[in-house]
Amino acid sequence: MGRYVVRRMLQVIPVVIGVTFIIFCLVFALPGDPIQALAGDKRADPNIAAVLRAHYHLNEPLYQQYWHYISGVFTGDLGETYNGRAISEIVSERFPITLKLGLTSFGIEAVIGIVAGIFSALKKGKFIDNVVLISTLVLISIPVFVLGSVLQLEFGVKLKITPVAGIEKGWPQSYILPAVVLASTSMAYVARLVRASMTESVRADYVRTAIAKGLPTRRVIGVHALRNSLIPVVTFLGFDLGALMGGAIITERVFNMPGIGGQLAQSVYLRERPIVVGLVTLLVLIYLVANLLVDLMYAVLDPRIRYE
Amino acid sequence: MRGAKSAKWVAIAAVVALGATACGGGGDDGSSGKGKGNGVVSVEIGEPQNGLVPSNTYETEGGQVINALFTGLTKLDADNKVVNAMAQSVETKDNKVWTIKLKSGYTFHNGEKVTAQSFIDAWNYGANQTNAQQTNPLFSHIQGYSDLNPGEGKKPKTDKMSGLKAVGDDTLQITLNGAFSAFPSQLSFTAFVPLPKAFFKDPKGFGEAPIGNGPFKMKGTFKHNEEIDVTKYDKYPDASKIEAKGVNFKIYSNLDTAYKDLVAGNLDVQLVIPNSGLPTYHKDLPGRYIDEADSGVGYIGFPIKYNKAFQNADLRKAISMSIDRKTIASKIFLGARTPADDFISPIIDGYRKGACGDACTLNPAKAKELYKASGGLPGNTLEIGYNADGDHKAWIEAVANQIQQNLGIKVTAKPFEQFQTILNDLDAKKYQGAFRMAWNMDYPDMENYLRPIFSKEAITNGSNYSGYVNEDFEKLLVKGDQAATHEDAVKQYQQADDVLLKDLPYIPVYFYTLNTGFSDKIKSMKIAGHNILWDSVKLS
Repeated sequence: MGRYVVRRMLQVIPVVIGVTFIIFCLVFALPGDPIQALAGDKRADPNIAAVLRAHYHLNEPLYQQYWHYISGVFTGDLGETYNGRAISEIVSERFPITLKLGLTSFGIEAVIGIVAGIFSALKKGKFIDNVVLISTLVLISIPVFVLGSVLQLEFGVKLKITPVAGIEKGWPQSYILPAVVLASTSMAYVARLVRASMTESVRADYVRTAIAKGLPTRRVIGVHALRNSLIPVVTFLGFDLGALMGGAIITERVFNMPGIGGQLAQSVYLRERPIVVGLVTLLVLIYLVANLLVDLMYAVLDPRIRYE
Repeated sequence: MRGAKSAKWVAIAAVVALGATACGGGGDDGSSGKGKGNGVVSVEIGEPQNGLVPSNTYETEGGQVINALFTGLTKLDADNKVVNAMAQSVETKDNKVWTIKLKSGYTFHNGEKVTAQSFIDAWNYGANQTNAQQTNPLFSHIQGYSDLNPGEGKKPKTDKMSGLKAVGDDTLQITLNGAFSAFPSQLSFTAFVPLPKAFFKDPKGFGEAPIGNGPFKMKGTFKHNEEIDVTKYDKYPDASKIEAKGVNFKIYSNLDTAYKDLVAGNLDVQLVIPNSGLPTYHKDLPGRYIDEADSGVGYIGFPIKYNKAFQNADLRKAISMSIDRKTIASKIFLGARTPADDFISPIIDGYRKGACGDACTLNPAKAKELYKASGGLPGNTLEIGYNADGDHKAWIEAVANQIQQNLGIKVTAKPFEQFQTILNDLDAKKYQGAFRMAWNMDYPDMENYLRPIFSKEAITNGSNYSGYVNEDFEKLLVKGDQAATHEDAVKQYQQADDVLLKDLPYIPVYFYTLNTGFSDKIKSMKIAGHNILWDSVKLS
């Protein structure tokens, strides 16, 4: 078990190096000059531009720039943006916000999705099932930014229940609405997944046996049926935890949250190679950790699955 | 079950670790009570591009904050006229040597007295190429500027401009390279404010918590992408004229969201109402909006430098005459623009209504005639490039359609991903088409609408992307610089403007208007040069 976890952790190293290099190449390939981008519609002063280019090694070939970057990373220096801010500072400032948003949204998605799915499966064909089926269909088909803008207008501007934007009020007030919006699509998928696999397991032999043994319904549903039904759901949730971080780009923009989403978009626009690479690498790491967790959760849910 | 158990622990530990980091680092305080009536005005800005160092701030977002924190020698009043701020008097005999006496009583927010030397040190820093400040070129009129900017890869031999001299604590003597009548106007730009000694010890740290000499001082530090809080500085000489007790600059990445906050009453001022709000803002904000001319001009430019087809002025005139500016301004921009009729913005002294005359008036018949007589474009096709990252697609496509219809040629709108990609292609002489261009003033003088865009020196050192050169124009600019009075300067610059109106290196299409909204917390306010005039803000 321990060996399995260590092996999985070690896999991270080549992935990080590979990913950073690929991202570096991709951002490098984008046309446009980062120093001119700083000057907007005005032309960058040639002298000043030259000083800045030399400072950021922009005149050197790609591999040398990459070397400057990656050797910095290994000594704990993530570099600085073209307007002179330390990237580590930006990451530590913005990442917690996205993480809070992502985890809140993850919680909403898991709890509501699983509960709705169970009810839907148990009351198949009844009113509650139809409600779940129709509402999930609606959620899946509305684009996130439309849902975000509409909810923002209704709850923030008209009803004034939640803040319209920003994170001034802190967690949870400022995070609830954006998290719901961010969770909406996945929540619908989770509900449908749970419904499908629950429907199957409530008909399975071991569930029938459990009922015949005279176990209380709560135990039959909660432990016997649900536990097995959760395996595909956990797979989806694990994958989704990473996707939520990336998906936050749109939600953060609509709700003006200073997380990494907005920073990433802006940095791509400004051709800030080091910071794009840094943030994307962070997202990759989250994916890797989430997937490791999923694999470990399998063993918890189904003891037949072992990693020794 | 052993495996399962340890797996459970690893999973739980990882979840806890993720949760802990999520809760540990957040810098948001939930208890910053910003209710109505506490005298603090919240203002929407975008994230300033750089740290809050005046000489490194060349955009309006950071400019807003610098304007609240600092006071320069001159400033704009509500009519966009240049008046003295920290300057007691500004005198010159030849527009070359300027003597400026300072008002007394001004201190930096750390108590340090503002002296002539505070200005000199700040400007020397801003003009020095090793410091790579964005506004560096603005100092180029001062004698000794070239010593601080020897060029690529070279180190300046000195760090002082020879044209700056302090005569005692309260008198500043400035010698320019040559006559420059617009100098007092240029001094109103935020790059020319003084800096305290503390700045030079740690410029980077200063950018996060600047110490100014203006009506407001920093409260805490620059909270990136969230907010910048400033409070009234009680020792400011004009503090009694300022009603606001503080300003909360709220940083938005999305103007539509900011507009929703404005309507909901969570935000007090939004300087530029976004397109999504334009159809409804008069209704959403009854009596709480300002519509006035702004300093920007939108053009369509031509790469005259290397595309022979565009070198005929009549051809450019024909294209200009086939554009229906009224429709663009009212239909595409919903009145947030006005049709351009000069190269100079209407808020600038020297603007002449209708100066562009025929050339900027829709006349398809005459346009067609002129187009034919001029020899036309190769293949009768025209391409207009624009950067797709701004709000330009709609109007460029409309202009393309109008030209296509009115001249009977094929016109396409070509998106570039960023404005700088167009510039790169223009520099490489690769792009043959026309291109979208705009100008926003740095200081309110006619000269600022002429030299930086159309002069010979602006080809390498400014925004003359078309490569336009006209010796008469150059001579008239110099005459304007040397003029004895402001009125005389305006006359000379207008003659230079006439040359442009004849040559049409760019065709002016629209003037920007400023559509500002504010909350019911504010009774009235005024704006000049894109900055809020804080002594004009009256609270209700």
